[in-house]
Amino acid sequence: MTLDVGGVARGLLTWEKQEHLVKLAILILAAVLSFATRLFSVLRFESVIHEFDPYFNYRTTRFLAEQGFYKFHNWFDDRAWYPLGRIIGGTIYPGLMLTSAALYRLMWLLNVTIDIRNVCVFLAPFFSSLTTLVTYALTKEIHSTGAGLVAAALISIVPGYISRSVAGSYDNEGIAIFCMLFTYYLWIKAVKTGTIFWSDHALGTFGLCQIHAFVDYLRSRIPKDHFDLLFKTLVSSVLTVLFVVGTLLTLTGKVSPWTGRFYSLLDPSYAKNHIPIIASVSEHQPTSWSSFYFDLQILVFLFPAGLYFCFSKLTDSNIFIILYGVTSIYFAGVMVRLMLVLAPVMCVLSGIAISHLLAKYIKSVDAGGSAKQGVESKRQHKKLEQQTGGVKSEVAIGFVGVITLMLIVYTLHCTWVTSEAYSSPSIVLSARSHDGGRIIFDDFREAYYWLQMNTPEDARIMSWWDYGYQITAMANRTILVDNNTWNNTHISRVGQAMASSEEKAYEIMRELDVDYVLVIFGGLTGYSSDDINKFLWMVRIGGSTDRGAHIREKDYYAANGEFRVDKEGSPTLLNCLMYKMCYYRFGQMYTEGGKAQGYDRVRAAEIGNKDFELDVLEEAYTTEHWLVRIYKVKDLPNRGV
Amino acid sequence: MYVSKFEASMGTNLLIYLALSALLCLSKANAEIVNTNVERSLDLTSQLVKTLTKISAEDTAGKPIAEYVFFASEPSLAYILVKDSADRNVQIKKNEPLKGEQSFTLTFPKAFAKQSFLVETVASKSILPHPEEIKQNDKQFVRYSGNLHFYSKYKTSSQKTNVKLSSSNILSHTQVKPFSVSSNKITLGPYENTEAFSQEALVIHYENSSPFVTVNTLERTLEISHWGNIAVQESIQMTHTGAKLKGSFSRYDFQKEGRSGLAALKSYKTYLPASASGVYYRDTNGNISTSNMNAVRDFIELELRPRFPLFGGWKTQYTLGYNVPSYEYMFNDGNKYQLKMHLIDHIYDNMAIDEATVKIILPEGSSDIRLSTPYSISRLPNELVHTYLDTTGRPVVSFSKSNLVESHISDFTLYYSFSKISMLQEPLLVSGFIYIIFVFTIVFLRLDFSITSHAHKE
Repeated sequence: MTLDVGGVARGLLTWEKQEHLVKLAILILAAVLSFATRLFSVLRFESVIHEFDPYFNYRTTRFLAEQGFYKFHNWFDDRAWYPLGRIIGGTIYPGLMLTSAALYRLMWLLNVTIDIRNVCVFLAPFFSSLTTLVTYALTKEIHSTGAGLVAAALISIVPGYISRSVAGSYDNEGIAIFCMLFTYYLWIKAVKTGTIFWSDHALGTFGLCQIHAFVDYLRSRIPKDHFDLLFKTLVSSVLTVLFVVGTLLTLTGKVSPWTGRFYSLLDPSYAKNHIPIIASVSEHQPTSWSSFYFDLQILVFLFPAGLYFCFSKLTDSNIFIILYGVTSIYFAGVMVRLMLVLAPVMCVLSGIAISHLLAKYIKSVDAGGSAKQGVESKRQHKKLEQQTGGVKSEVAIGFVGVITLMLIVYTLHCTWVTSEAYSSPSIVLSARSHDGGRIIFDDFREAYYWLQMNTPEDARIMSWWDYGYQITAMANRTILVDNNTWNNTHISRVGQAMASSEEKAYEIMRELDVDYVLVIFGGLTGYSSDDINKFLWMVRIGGSTDRGAHIREKDYYAANGEFRVDKEGSPTLLNCLMYKMCYYRFGQMYTEGGKAQGYDRVRAAEIGNKDFELDVLEEAYTTEHWLVRIYKVKDLPNRGV
Repeated sequence: MYVSKFEASMGTNLLIYLALSALLCLSKANAEIVNTNVERSLDLTSQLVKTLTKISAEDTAGKPIAEYVFFASEPSLAYILVKDSADRNVQIKKNEPLKGEQSFTLTFPKAFAKQSFLVETVASKSILPHPEEIKQNDKQFVRYSGNLHFYSKYKTSSQKTNVKLSSSNILSHTQVKPFSVSSNKITLGPYENTEAFSQEALVIHYENSSPFVTVNTLERTLEISHWGNIAVQESIQMTHTGAKLKGSFSRYDFQKEGRSGLAALKSYKTYLPASASGVYYRDTNGNISTSNMNAVRDFIELELRPRFPLFGGWKTQYTLGYNVPSYEYMFNDGNKYQLKMHLIDHIYDNMAIDEATVKIILPEGSSDIRLSTPYSISRLPNELVHTYLDTTGRPVVSFSKSNLVESHISDFTLYYSFSKISMLQEPLLVSGFIYIIFVFTIVFLRLDFSITSHAHKE
């Protein structure tokens, strides 16, 4: 396509302008593509916020847009972590919210009356378009224009990045990658040109480099012995001050030491041994080899080649990109979610590799083409062949063909992965029915909306922390624990309530002032990430604090050590609150042909405890496909009844 | 008749005057209107009380009746329409309520000594659930309390009331002989010679499983574009005002047992204009994926299912929107425009709306706005909204009305003037903006902002 543009314009424009036009066309196409490929979920479902964390971001953004910055900054959220509450303004990084609120305000200023939700939904695709442009600029600085264009095209569709930046996935990652690459670009630009202008912008992350440059500057100006003295005193005093202030702040609790997630990054086994709540999150698991291929495809193989080309011509910027690539590949191996950081550098290095190879071989292809035209050009061809390292044009054509094929396969793979794996909003589920039609399970929103409409304004809802953000955002009700898992004890208390027997749980629920309990149950539809499958984590987290000492994980396993919900299952499990809430009256349901009543389609077992009544709870609402079940905690019985 | 003859024979103004005043005095003193026959039919099948009263009235002195005072017994009367025997509309004037009693003065198009006319009234909130709370599998019983006799300022010689109920399951009803009950119909009367202002309670306690759903607030926004489109948006908040759900809601029972949740609202039909397109049905959490659209011949039938079935006391809120082409509703003569559209539209059968607010957003630059409505409304102050590509803002006409029923679906007319040239404003604005961007780019690229001079070109 871009070649056509060049062909048409050949007669009119100079060579330089043609190149400019092709470059612009490729960049614009890549930017548009990177926006468009992220819209699968909007087209298939609707413009809706995805997953869990984005709902919190959306809620806070809405608050910021409606109430203004000062209210936002002083916001004490009494809807979460009942009865503790959460100081939102002081405990979040407001960059994302400020960006979208600023965009929103700007558009309203121009009378573009767009909904704040749409700003949030389309923010990530918009920033990935910008990322494409920045990747081009960065790679151009490191290597060449060609490499930049290839890298831009690669990053526009790389699944590793798309996975966290589809429309609706409104999270920090969407902007962060752009900001990160932009900072790298500015920094490399600063290193290369030596202008303070660029480095000022990059100061945020690379403050130390500026200090180093300043030291060098001083060294050139001051006599040697003076400088040494100055240097020593400065360094020692700065270190002392930093140490003292750091200790003071840590002791007074103003600055918390590095979080558990950070430790687990350095030592992958840390979380598993110390903090079950971090280990319980699927995106904190180590990456499997297959997911590297799934998310990056040919980039995995081109990456070493790119590294080689960087090593072969060591410059400051090349060393930087080598370091970035190598460290991020380690971190990506530790945690799945850090694949996101790896993806851009993979694209940059692969872009370098592809462009380097293509540049080398395309010359030979051209030479081969022109050789047929005459004898005179044959000599030229020989000359060229010598220049290019003696590659025959057939070989060159073959090589270029293979690269083209690889790129085409890459495109197809990326599109397929995006459409199949990363474009489901997870708030609306869809399945294929027997006759091939699409069934929509909209149960989550059904339940949340029911809560919003038909429970008292100040009702307190207990659920596992995964659903906390969604409940506050969509149901606008107070919850006990949410995805900001800052208080392990509190979460543990909820885990204890879920894992205890009804009487014991009632005490805990009365203590926590719970009005409604919400559980996710997939037994009827076969939705596998429901609360029963997460239950062992609740048990583990519940038992991890002093007050939960009575909850022992082994009590919930059957005699043979398995986790089962059928008759063989452990009696503790079959009588705990979570089990009862999930399976209440499920024993009467026929779920699958040829199976007994109460057949759980996720666990593939007929449930073990069927006929029971709830004493302290009553069913308040169950969604159409039984995905969400809400129970009301009964009041204490009147005396004398 | 009598008057005109009199007038003709005497011929002098003074005499006419005297005679007329004498006549007036006479009618005040002893002329009496008597309802010779009153036939009422009460339709209590839904949540509304629809009354059709056929009244034959006569003046005992044989004088023509020009005015008649009609009393409405229902406290929350939503709608009244009176037609005379020739099917002409009778003028209705609402009187100041006396001791909480609502009355209307009817003025007939022609005064006859015998008047026979039909009064149609619709009242909401007159049928109340009894008991007020039921369990999920229970039937909904309701109680209607009204007046056994036709409540009137005049004596009634003979009257009869036919009541139509939603089911034959009648727990109790007022038994004043003569009466008869067959299936879901009760006939009361005929009662002879009832005095004026006679009151006797009529109470019927029966099963009514139709969902008692009230729209608490309706906000209807019509956005007019002179490029050929009218965008309609309705924000609706509704509550099930029938018997409240007591105890738990069991999904199992709801799915398995046919008699479970009979009075719950599972789905309902909304009728849209036949030309409606781009229909959306959503709430604050996004699209509500459970709705069906069928195009019937001259309207579109939209089957809406709320996210959850509405049981007694439950409420929900949603937004329904669609577009219609403007040529069907907009007429113009030069710069004078006329918009004729439904003031409210159908939401569900036998609907009851507590409060409706209608907002009409006119194109930027509209002026001389005048509104005419089929019934009285309360105008709200005009405002301005700014949206895409606006500079001065679009004028908004808004008004509200409370207690509406299906019979209120009729057209309002809005007159305004709008100069066609202002339509060009928006395209010009866009092209101007793009032009400025290009000019700026051209100038910017040709300027050299560097401080030092470059020896060679980069």
